[in-house]
Amino acid sequence: MTGIAESIMSPSDWAMMPVALPLLGAALSLLAKAFIKKGPWASLFEYLGAFVGLALPWLALAVLAPLVLSGGSVQAIIGSWSPLVGISFRFDGLTWLVDMLGFSVAGMAWLYSVGAGPKGPAFTTIYLIQASALAATAATTDLFNLFVCLEVLGMASYVLVTSSEKPGAFLAAFSYLMVSAAAMVFFLLGVYGLYRLTGTLSYSSIAAALALLPDGGGYTAVVSLACISAAVALRVAVMPLYGWLPDAHALAPHAVSAVLSGVLIKTPLFALSRFLLAMPGGGMAGQLFGYAGAITALGGVIIALSQKDAKRLLAYHSISQIGYVVSAWGAGVSALSRGEAVGYALLSAAFLHAFYHALFKGLLFLTVGTATDAAAERDVYVLRGAGAILKKSGERLPFTLLSFAVGALSISALPPFNGFVSKAALSYVLKGRWEYIFLFIAGIGTTASFIKLAGIFAPPKRGAGIAAASSLPGYTAKKTVMTAQAVLALACVASGLAGPWFYRFVGRLLSGGHYSIGVLRLYDLDSLLKTGGIVLAGYVLYKLALTGIGKRIAARIRERPRGFHGLFAAFSLGLGGLTLWISFFRFQ
Amino acid sequence: MNAQAKRAPVAAAVLSILVAAAILWPLVAFDGPWPRELGAYLESRGLEESGARNLVSAIYLGYRAYDTLGETIVLLVAVSGAIGMIAAAGTTLAIDYSYPAKDGAVDGGEAEKPIRRKAKKNRTDLIEVVTGKLGPVVLLFGFYVMLFGHVSPGGGFQGGVVVASGIVFLALGSKGKPGGGLSSASTLAKLEAAGFAALIAGGFLGLASGTGFFAPPLAGTSPLGFIIALNTVIGLKVGAGIGFLCVAMLGEADYD
Repeated sequence: MTGIAESIMSPSDWAMMPVALPLLGAALSLLAKAFIKKGPWASLFEYLGAFVGLALPWLALAVLAPLVLSGGSVQAIIGSWSPLVGISFRFDGLTWLVDMLGFSVAGMAWLYSVGAGPKGPAFTTIYLIQASALAATAATTDLFNLFVCLEVLGMASYVLVTSSEKPGAFLAAFSYLMVSAAAMVFFLLGVYGLYRLTGTLSYSSIAAALALLPDGGGYTAVVSLACISAAVALRVAVMPLYGWLPDAHALAPHAVSAVLSGVLIKTPLFALSRFLLAMPGGGMAGQLFGYAGAITALGGVIIALSQKDAKRLLAYHSISQIGYVVSAWGAGVSALSRGEAVGYALLSAAFLHAFYHALFKGLLFLTVGTATDAAAERDVYVLRGAGAILKKSGERLPFTLLSFAVGALSISALPPFNGFVSKAALSYVLKGRWEYIFLFIAGIGTTASFIKLAGIFAPPKRGAGIAAASSLPGYTAKKTVMTAQAVLALACVASGLAGPWFYRFVGRLLSGGHYSIGVLRLYDLDSLLKTGGIVLAGYVLYKLALTGIGKRIAARIRERPRGFHGLFAAFSLGLGGLTLWISFFRFQ
Repeated sequence: MNAQAKRAPVAAAVLSILVAAAILWPLVAFDGPWPRELGAYLESRGLEESGARNLVSAIYLGYRAYDTLGETIVLLVAVSGAIGMIAAAGTTLAIDYSYPAKDGAVDGGEAEKPIRRKAKKNRTDLIEVVTGKLGPVVLLFGFYVMLFGHVSPGGGFQGGVVVASGIVFLALGSKGKPGGGLSSASTLAKLEAAGFAALIAGGFLGLASGTGFFAPPLAGTSPLGFIIALNTVIGLKVGAGIGFLCVAMLGEADYD
């Protein structure tokens, strides 16, 4: 098969396909919007565009799999110009994995959107552009190109958030836009600083030129590194830079929420690891990220536990879960920059959890979206009997309930679902560090929070909540919605069962075959007892949260003052902290 | 709002500015030697390699055309987002964020009619005649800036914006008969889509001819033709997109 593939295009051309094909799809869809407007032909071209943009990239990934599995990579300059001025990119195991993560969730979420909206070629066009930008971000090794990729990614997200047409969504997209535009100014200043020092833009040549400068570029290099890292951290929503996320993810259309939470906050993180691993001082930045990640994991879950709105609760869990990913990722970057091979195990665990979180959080956003749409109610404390309501709206078998259960059990890390495997991998690599304790407590909070969220499917209590008998016209179960949910649910189960194997696979791809990950022991007495303990503690915490004091604390956390200005203050504090941190270790 | 809540934004702003200034000072104050390598390379090889006398064009449509593709897409997405918001303004912004009240209770949401803002008709004959006559001239100048971007300052983005202002002039000078000719929303949408499709097709042309995605096709020949083609396509796309946005803001588009 590789022979046939190479007779069509060279590996470096195949490596551009995950970027180029979604753009081609977007062009088809935009043409359909402008020239045909409505009717079956417009839909045909739109669906063709989605097929080209979301399904065909899998072909490219299949063609490139043997190459990256054997530890190889494609490194090229787009347009074959001189490396001095051209844009370099790299398709390796990391790119392959991040692309796979992106296209898995993006494909299913698009299918969901066909049934549940937003519909139409205009939406599909922007959606495909976002998919293309995700692949471009994963592959680039040029600093200015990374800026462009993040801009496209961001712009597509702001527009997609507003496509739910909820009035709150406009404001959410606006504050997302303003704060990330402000952060991107600092990113650009960082690019300026490094360009001013080295006169080049690709990661490897910047690193080479910095090594020749006295003191490695001094404060100018440190400040530039901090500006770039902080701007990316804002996109990843690490505390304290998370304030834009809850509104944007909660008010976006469900399909878009799934992609934003599942994919969009992770791709910039893994793209940043390329940059940090090339830069002097990048390891220290990674380490601070790791510490912030552990705090984020715990902080996110505390706020999530206090939420009323179902999707906002899920959004805060995304912050918490990205904290898990970042804590292992940061420790991994730090270890690798010191030349310790154990960093590959840490990075692999981070990716494993990122991928599994993409699957189960995508699933949770879609199923909770379906349930809240059918019931026309999003308050976790009010909505009851969602299963019965869905049954009335045409769902003969409780697919949504089952899919939701799979997602909730996955995020609560119960065996054999995939979250259990990735959290076991995280515990394995982080054991003995203080971050581990934070993640452990966050796990209890996650379980408590999902016991609470599962209440929306509980039968209604007398008088309270919505009676399942009340007629709610306007919602009917759609096959595309069911399919998308079912595929993601099956993926959560399958990737859980194949977890130990997949963990080794990720390790092999990320290390280029240089590092072999040990066998993950999942079902020994120790880990099962620990899981049981977490579930028990989670249930107790859930009960505590329902007491009078618990409710008052929750209300206090939920209604804490939040404002537009806070986003900017948090960013400048984060940037300042990061600069001081790197300077301290570089110049002590 | 109590005094503390009033002070918080001011304190946040002062803090942000102070921290930013302290951090950015080393960037501003740095006075080390400028790196010369790239400048020397472009000076000696730029014209020969790209065929464009305007080296800015050589960089953004030759060496770094892939970045420019991204920036063009940013503009496309921004315009479509803005059009979406203009279309939605008045239909959704007036309605409360929560779901509509259940069991038939009308919470005032029902009575809200979508409000479509129309531009005030305070046009005078003077404006209409002048803009109507100037429109074609401005368009011509826009096309000049667009097509001669490889030799003189200008190019697709700048030319496209001038074309867009020509389109606005035509729309203003249309004597109250909106939607005619080039300034009609559907024509502009078609032009923008076709421009974008041509841009992507240009990217795939390199693949088909074996030079790679977004590389000048036909290895061995001067990429000047590719640069001029990209300038034209980007100019049309930018002009149509921005023009569409302005026509929509004049209240003359049907948003379809």
